[in-house]
Amino acid sequence: MSTLNLLVAVCTAYVFFLFFVAFAADRLALQGKRAWLRSPLIYTLSLSIYCTAWTFYGAVGSAARNGFEYLTIYLGPTLVMVSWWWLLRKLIRIGRTQKITSIADLISSRYGKSSLLAAGVTILAVIGTTPYIALQLQSVTLSFSVFAAQSDGLAAQDQAQVALWLSLGLALFTVLFGTRNLDAKERHDGVVMAIAVEAVVKLVALLSVGIFVVWGVSGGLTEALHRIDASEFGEWHTDRSRWAGLIFLSAAAFLCLPRTFQVLVVENDDESHLRTASWAFPLYLCLISLFVVPIAVVGLDIMPEGSNPDLFVLTVPLALGENGLAMLSFLGGFSSATSMVIVAAIALSTMVSNHIVMPIWLHLSPSGASVSGDVRAAVLMARRISIVAVVMLGYLYFRMSSGGAALASIGLVAFCGLAQVLPAMLGGMFWRGATRLGAFAGLTAGFVIWLYTLYLPSFGVGTILPMSIIDNGLFGWAWLKPDALFGITGLDQLMHALLWSMLFNVVCFVSVSLVTFPSPLERLQAAQFVNIFDHSTSARSWSGGTAQTEDLMVMAQRILGAGEAQALFLRHARRQGARGNLPAPTPDFLEALERELGSSVGAATAHAMVGQITGGMAISVEDLMAVADETAQMLEYSARLKEQSQELSRTALELRNANQKLTRLSIQKDAFLSQISHELRTPMTSIRAFSEILRDTDQMTPAEQSRYASIIHDEAQRLTRLLDDLLDLSVVENGQVNLNLRDGTLRDALDRAVSSAGIGEDGVLLDIDRDPSREGIVLHTDLDRLSQVFINLIANARKYCDAKAPRLVIRVMQEADRVVIDFQDNGSGIAPDAVDMIFEKFARVSDQKAGGAGLGLAICRQVMTRLGGSVDYLPAARGATFRVVLPYRTAMAAQ
Amino acid sequence: MKRTTDRPGSPTVFHERRTYRRRRVMDAARVAPGLALILWALPMVWPQTGEGTVSSATALIYIFAVWAGVILLTWGLSRLLADEADEPSDDES
Repeated sequence: MSTLNLLVAVCTAYVFFLFFVAFAADRLALQGKRAWLRSPLIYTLSLSIYCTAWTFYGAVGSAARNGFEYLTIYLGPTLVMVSWWWLLRKLIRIGRTQKITSIADLISSRYGKSSLLAAGVTILAVIGTTPYIALQLQSVTLSFSVFAAQSDGLAAQDQAQVALWLSLGLALFTVLFGTRNLDAKERHDGVVMAIAVEAVVKLVALLSVGIFVVWGVSGGLTEALHRIDASEFGEWHTDRSRWAGLIFLSAAAFLCLPRTFQVLVVENDDESHLRTASWAFPLYLCLISLFVVPIAVVGLDIMPEGSNPDLFVLTVPLALGENGLAMLSFLGGFSSATSMVIVAAIALSTMVSNHIVMPIWLHLSPSGASVSGDVRAAVLMARRISIVAVVMLGYLYFRMSSGGAALASIGLVAFCGLAQVLPAMLGGMFWRGATRLGAFAGLTAGFVIWLYTLYLPSFGVGTILPMSIIDNGLFGWAWLKPDALFGITGLDQLMHALLWSMLFNVVCFVSVSLVTFPSPLERLQAAQFVNIFDHSTSARSWSGGTAQTEDLMVMAQRILGAGEAQALFLRHARRQGARGNLPAPTPDFLEALERELGSSVGAATAHAMVGQITGGMAISVEDLMAVADETAQMLEYSARLKEQSQELSRTALELRNANQKLTRLSIQKDAFLSQISHELRTPMTSIRAFSEILRDTDQMTPAEQSRYASIIHDEAQRLTRLLDDLLDLSVVENGQVNLNLRDGTLRDALDRAVSSAGIGEDGVLLDIDRDPSREGIVLHTDLDRLSQVFINLIANARKYCDAKAPRLVIRVMQEADRVVIDFQDNGSGIAPDAVDMIFEKFARVSDQKAGGAGLGLAICRQVMTRLGGSVDYLPAARGATFRVVLPYRTAMAAQ
Repeated sequence: MKRTTDRPGSPTVFHERRTYRRRRVMDAARVAPGLALILWALPMVWPQTGEGTVSSATALIYIFAVWAGVILLTWGLSRLLADEADEPSDDES
């Protein structure tokens, strides 16, 4: 049996094995045994989709041509994986929460579920990925031809045949396992399992060749290292800009390539798997690249001049007669190529069907989403056709480029194209200010520059871009030469394109974002994406009400399938506590439904479909409040703090005042006690003394007796008055006093007060100035009590006024609802610090002028309160001024 | 996930020792990629010609040694951060 036949047999067997693995995994998943299908190990291995045939074969080729540069392609993804904590964890949480189905869906969903952006990213992805698929086909046909060369060679016609059969087989596999279900999670257990197996195969293959080369050919590690030093590699030579640029490029590509995004985010089953992958995938990359240099060095050594270094992995074992190893190596390359094509086709078909086919279909079908018929089938069909189209596009590209050398560089060209998504993606994840227009501007600028400076020239000079443009620049402007924009020459073509495209991309993205204003839905999504860990709820966007649940049900059935849709509706009906099987179209329900639909047809399409039925794209007030929530919380919190501190200082002030007052009251009480005992003691002493004289003196004239007795009488009266005051106060205070209400004029009350208090015992005359014409107000009140208050005020003025010629002005003012009587003397007034004390019991302004017990004003205030009025001291007036206010009601009642 | 400590309502300044440690581990996980990037950028400043050029074998060993170190570091950090990463997600469906 010839080698080629054996190869075909092994290849077929391997393909059947893969079909079996995928089939078994799908069966297991259906039986609910997903636990071990979805382990961290499988997740890590599936990430190896990043390592395609281009890296399997091409890494050795690159090492043979450019030295260590090949390492950058692995260092970039390693850096990304190491950044799992702040970058990938967030990305995956966003992907899971928002049910992201592809990178286009991510961008579209972040920027207000924009269909235009989604379509743009999809087109970019298709343009960038098609040559890449062609590259995989090329690598497989090349490796076939290597084996064929052993026997009788492979004609160009046969190469095309191989490529055609391969693409058909891959399309079949992808359709079978990639579109089995349109399920909610958009996860493909069978495909992921097959990829994980292929990941193991390519690692084992490359490691085997490497171990064979180091220990079998070179004779040990030390010898291998010597050999490296002795070879063309010699010393460290690397283009510095390419070293840095390629690390960035590969890191960006790892995040943005549709296939890596598919396995990294969409197929992720459990966030904790990322924790394992964060170190396990770098380990995988490290192992994959470990033996590349030794293989390249040995290949350069033993292979004849001019042989293709891209195939050293295959040709070195063959040349050394290790056919089994070569076969394993072939399978490794085959695995790399097939797994890439499968996942890329799935990812691209999801994007094409969700973001291009479905919107057009929705637009074309006259009655929109509520038309009858199975959308589910339509979506699946769209996806299947997309898969076949994508793979066939790759095949056509391969045929057209006829496997030329142009393909070899297409890997990095594709990387550079898809890296244009990076600013919009990272900006969307970390910057709330990024807007849809900004993202669109950035993507467009980057895409156009990439197309012009890298993609179109990559087809070869003169194929698409005419020579004139390459030589003289666009429109003959030299500064628009595709390989020297703005006249900057000397840069490597790839780095030149990367620099300018990323620069314009980022500048346009940021500046347009800064000057444009996002729509409410965009701002909502921005808050959701950027603060994904704060509130892992999804965007609320529907304020339903007009939505017909039946219509939604019809639509959901056609997309999710009848069983699943009914289960979903029933679950929400139960949650809402609704009777029957249909939930009310609340915003919560619509949001959940949209998310479910989104996981099948993408966020933008789902949004549009629900929108057609609910008939509105309104955002409820609660949603806006949720966006404002954060700011509001901060504001509210600081306002509360301020309020609290103000309240605290107010309380402290009050406490301080109260304390001062208490202290003064305490001093006053002491003073009063000593005063009252003095006041009581003085008359008592006189009474005792004179009564003793009366008792003990035998010869006493009647005049003397009478005088002594009258002294005793006077003193006893003084005592009684004092005690009366005390009693009076306590009676008034306790509210036990009975008011003797009767009619009378204010003038009478004042007359009485003036006559009884105007002239004191000491004979000091107080000049009282009155205006009797205004005093004729008829009052209905307790006139005796009122006179008592007036007496007190007049007596106080007489006692305390320190002017040489004491004078008291009594003014009556009649206001709308009250009568005001001011008592103003011409003295120096009451000291400000004593003002708030004078109405307290036992308060006296000074000890020297001690006249009463200090109860007068306290009684006055109590009396006035009982009469419904008030008595206050006016601190601003000249001299001591007391203001008595009587409610006019009392006066009116009397009229 | 809402973490109460991040709420403006209760800005906690002092954490217990364990919480403090965990936060520093998170910081370490954030700066680890920076360290790796710097170490791998170093070859750019190696002399390319003349005296002191680095031999290919040495360069190869250096890059892979850094790689091994990065893998070990990430492994250690991912183990320390196990509790954080496994926090239950809000996926209700």
